[in-house]
Amino acid sequence: MKKRLIAVLMTVAMAASLLAGCGVPKKGSDGGSGDSGEKVFRYGTRTEPTTLDPTKANCIPDSEVQNGLIERLVRNVGGEIKPGCAKEWEISEDGLVYTFHLNEEAKWSDGEQIKAQDFVYGWQRLMNPETAAQYAFIGEYIKNGAAIENGKMKPSELGVKAIDDVTFEVTLEHPTSYFLKLIGIQPQFAPLRQDIVEKYGKDFAADAEKNVYSGPFVLTSSENQKWVFEPNEHYWDKDSIKLDRVELSYIQNQETQLAMYENGELDLTELPRVSVEKYKDKAVKFKNGNTDYFYINCDGTNPALKNKNFRLALNYGFDRNTYNQLASEGIGDPSNVFTFRGLIGIESTYGEESNLKSYPLDGDDAKAKEYLAKAEKELGKKASDITVEITTTDNDAAKKQAEVVQELWVKSLGINVTINQVTYAEMLQRHSTGEFEIGWGGWVGDYDDPYTYLELFKTDCPYNNSNYSNPEVDKLLTASQQETDAKKRQDLLVQAEQIILDDGAVLPQAEREIYYLIDDDVKGLVNYYVGINYDWTYVDIAK
Amino acid sequence: MRKYIFKRLIAAVLTMWVLITVVFFLVRLMPGDPFQNPKMTTEIRKNMEEYYGFDKPLIVQYGNYMKNLFKGDLGYSMKFTNKTVNGIISESFPFSADLGIRALVFAVSFGLVLGIISARNRGGKLDFFCVIIAVLGTSIPDFIMGAVLQYGFGIKWGLLPVAQYEGFKYTILPACAIGFYTLASVSRIMRASMLEVSSQDYIKTARSKGVSEFRITAKHQIRNAIMPVMTIMGPTVASVLTGTFVIESIFAIPGMGKYYVDSVSNNDYSMVLGMTIFYGVFLIFCNLVVDVLYGVADPRVRIGER
Repeated sequence: MKKRLIAVLMTVAMAASLLAGCGVPKKGSDGGSGDSGEKVFRYGTRTEPTTLDPTKANCIPDSEVQNGLIERLVRNVGGEIKPGCAKEWEISEDGLVYTFHLNEEAKWSDGEQIKAQDFVYGWQRLMNPETAAQYAFIGEYIKNGAAIENGKMKPSELGVKAIDDVTFEVTLEHPTSYFLKLIGIQPQFAPLRQDIVEKYGKDFAADAEKNVYSGPFVLTSSENQKWVFEPNEHYWDKDSIKLDRVELSYIQNQETQLAMYENGELDLTELPRVSVEKYKDKAVKFKNGNTDYFYINCDGTNPALKNKNFRLALNYGFDRNTYNQLASEGIGDPSNVFTFRGLIGIESTYGEESNLKSYPLDGDDAKAKEYLAKAEKELGKKASDITVEITTTDNDAAKKQAEVVQELWVKSLGINVTINQVTYAEMLQRHSTGEFEIGWGGWVGDYDDPYTYLELFKTDCPYNNSNYSNPEVDKLLTASQQETDAKKRQDLLVQAEQIILDDGAVLPQAEREIYYLIDDDVKGLVNYYVGINYDWTYVDIAK
Repeated sequence: MRKYIFKRLIAAVLTMWVLITVVFFLVRLMPGDPFQNPKMTTEIRKNMEEYYGFDKPLIVQYGNYMKNLFKGDLGYSMKFTNKTVNGIISESFPFSADLGIRALVFAVSFGLVLGIISARNRGGKLDFFCVIIAVLGTSIPDFIMGAVLQYGFGIKWGLLPVAQYEGFKYTILPACAIGFYTLASVSRIMRASMLEVSSQDYIKTARSKGVSEFRITAKHQIRNAIMPVMTIMGPTVASVLTGTFVIESIFAIPGMGKYYVDSVSNNDYSMVLGMTIFYGVFLIFCNLVVDVLYGVADPRVRIGER
């Protein structure tokens, strides 16, 4: 009897479990690259794209999605400028006026021609305060850009003009040697169709169907935290596109991504730090242009940090190699300069050519003590009476970083260091209000030029979070924006950075390194350190 | 009964109003704002504030929010700029609910069975086995359970997909991981309650009258023992169906679990409010249903209400 009861109960339970479940949209994916003969590239992102509207893009995942969907005037492929909608262009001698001649074959995904007016509309929309684009500042290079953004001029007064359907002219505020590289990578410079934007209003680009696409791919689905791209049959250069489909999935958990890669469900995955050692032979390493550092509030409430010698003591007393081992398991490239060293220089990289004199990567205790002694004298305080506070975010990695710095400074300088952990939102707020002494910082450039890093130390820069001000640096940086000779310009920037380092205005730590695994048959992926990390536009899957 | 439900509905509306009002003002006290971009300039922040109406006095914003809420409009997310909160919830909830229903059916059916078997075999080997499962279920955190299931069935033996949601077989591991804790608590409560009921006089009477063991268990014991399990079902259904942050993250399920955590850390005001309202309404509804069912299962409750 008892057995019968158990059997009945178990049967009911199992049947119920199997029958359960209700309708959720299911989208099958054959996966991989070959089962069905289709060339499919699948990868994951740990940060969900925030918008599908190119004008409102404001982070790397946003830009990466747009990079496949939009065709700008030119395409910046890993630093190389290729024609986009424009087949050719001229730059005026003073470097202020760019005239682009559009390719008549450049078409929207609905077959309409991409016209100069679409660029005028797209760029004006970016600067229009009513659009409230987070990245509007990127258009301040264009004549009247800043005034329009501030509501002092009308969007129609922006320095852009459609001379005819296929001729687009831009006038800049000042010669900008990296202008082509900038508009070739940042999604905000996309052409936009006024009829489509106005048709959908606030819902423009809310999902895949509510837009038309100018780029090599169209978005066929953006549902369920998965973005599916398929080739745009009207794309002017469609012969260069080899993939049949790209699937980008939001997979927050790195271990899950790795497991899916191992199981053949993804073709590319970034490695969690702890797994780098295990996959060292197979992994591809690249630097994504992100520099990690601590801001030093040079004009805050702590008098010690206003003292140049004390800031230098902090920098010399900081052993960057040890820090990198302890705080980041050795993943990262210790750095003693602020600008990302991999940026393009005149002939090689900016890092190699700049030849900056900076603090040794292993630190220099003797020199640190020397500067500290000077600072003690100037401040009228003993090192043991000086306290600095590190404000950092509330995650475990940030805590570890701060604790390592604390330990290194206590040991090398004998000062007191306290740690204050706040949320990321509060951290950003404190950066802008200056309510911090030493603060966590990370920066990635918007264009392949040292200026995108160094402007953080310009007195009037809105994100000069160090509150650093040196007229000499301001002068050099301003001059660099006017200079048209590449060599002279780089010299100006190097001089500015040298002064910033000599003033100990910041505490550079390391350049970030990404390790990723990629299937052997995936060819042609381009890594870049500006705007996007992965450019899969021209990827092919080897059979 | 109708009067009872009506009263409860009035209370529910009042509860929701208080909840919305408190949360509306509380989220504004969080340090920082929704425009979290290190490259934010003063002008752009001002433009963003105007766009979202933050330049108006807080009380006006509250009025506008309530007005829209009456129309069922939860507004636009501030992090996912082109998406409405309604859209995000309606896109992600089905996934969480689907997994949740599977997890619940699995948990409740097996939990009840284990509890009953356990009680019927008190002190025996089967009881021991069931108790071990219950202890494991309540003491292993879901992220370990999820990771172990994923590793075992997904990677090591390759029996099931590792993550994402593309069809039925994708749901098995996350549903088990979500359901295991509920299964364990259901079985524990059911066991204790069954044991308590079995010492009652009416069971002894039935037994002495020669009623079969099957009938005693099925008709008298289970019906009376199930009340405590029903009590926990209200909040359990609400929390399981609206998604879990950890499991959805481990299995890359596009559910709504992550928004509970992310919307707060992003200071995404409209999203925080939307999630709170959705969860609040759902929880109140589930509790109401349980209360009504309670009355159905136990006539004494109905009498008491009169």
